[in-house]
Amino acid sequence: MLCAEPPVIRLREPDRHLCAAHLIADVEKRAARTIRERELIKPHDRIAVAFSGGKDSTALLVTLSRLLPSWEDVSLVAITVDEGIAGYRDDTIRAAEEVTKKLRTEHVCISFTDLVGDDLDALLVGRETQACSVCGILRRKALSVAAQKAGATKIATGHNLDDEAQSVLMNTLRGDLPRLVRTSDADSSDCFIPRIKPLADIAEKEIAAYLFVQDLFPFLPECPYTRYALRLEVRSMLSAMEQKHPGTMRNLIKSKRAIEKHVGRRVMSEPLRRCRECGDPCSGELCQVCTLRKSLGK
Amino acid sequence: MKIILPCSTINMMSGDPVSISQILDQLCINPSEVIVSRNGKLVPEDAVAGGDDEIRIIRIAHGG
Ligand SMILES: [Zn+2]
Ligand SMILES: [Zn+2]
Repeated sequence: MLCAEPPVIRLREPDRHLCAAHLIADVEKRAARTIRERELIKPHDRIAVAFSGGKDSTALLVTLSRLLPSWEDVSLVAITVDEGIAGYRDDTIRAAEEVTKKLRTEHVCISFTDLVGDDLDALLVGRETQACSVCGILRRKALSVAAQKAGATKIATGHNLDDEAQSVLMNTLRGDLPRLVRTSDADSSDCFIPRIKPLADIAEKEIAAYLFVQDLFPFLPECPYTRYALRLEVRSMLSAMEQKHPGTMRNLIKSKRAIEKHVGRRVMSEPLRRCRECGDPCSGELCQVCTLRKSLGK
Repeated sequence: MKIILPCSTINMMSGDPVSISQILDQLCINPSEVIVSRNGKLVPEDAVAGGDDEIRIIRIAHGG
């Protein structure tokens, strides 16, 4: 216990109880440390914040706007991608707009319809089980298009510690070594704009608590397509393990970093090629977006 | 004691003092997938509830 205020959360490693004010300070201090140690933000950066209005990206935007005065000439622009998911997206977009208004952050929206002429629901008819990969590829593209248009030098995403640990396990379960070592901040710039993950050291539960104590927790539904995702199985398995054996998630990420150190460069060293359709950097003949467009008949 | 579940269903429990983790245990809810408030204020799992307390269990949705 750091003070006499009532505790709102118990954290491990080190075991401690934090009150609301100390929790907020703790989260922001650790995000600032991640940014400093990995040199995620430099003077004169313009940061495009991938902002869905959900909890992770809300926490990201709040944290970055609080830390903003400590960096020299850095600006933020929030980018919301409207995938077009009926009964889900409208509420989250409204929530997103309220937050950017409150924080006075510049805010732009881009939709899948702007990008490929159809919304996600229409694109997925008959292929619902591929929802997360289709959505992921298009969202990535939409983000980099909007970020480029906004003049951004970095794209920040709200990935947290749990997401990172889940990705390590999922890529391992799929036997996907290139992707296993490609996901860390320095290497994940598959477009021209580097991607950063300032919340990568903060657990999902801390993020939820951080928002709740500031009346910023978004009471929003889960994406309706999530139930098709392998990630959901991995998520509940990992959180059960973490509960029983605190430190499991951190250790998974540590293993990944160790592997990365040894093989990362070798796996990554394939020469960068250009997509023959759109000219974007990619690893094969066609980039993921053009491959997807072809298979969708777009 | 009134327990509001993530699906908004309300469960009534006896007012005998019990820890939040015991409540979650009884409901088979993994503590790392939820946050819990007692009378509107967030509390850690080792906090104790009882009497007329209103306990709300909020599921942390993935993503966002
Ligand atoms: Zn305190
Ligand atoms: Zn292409």
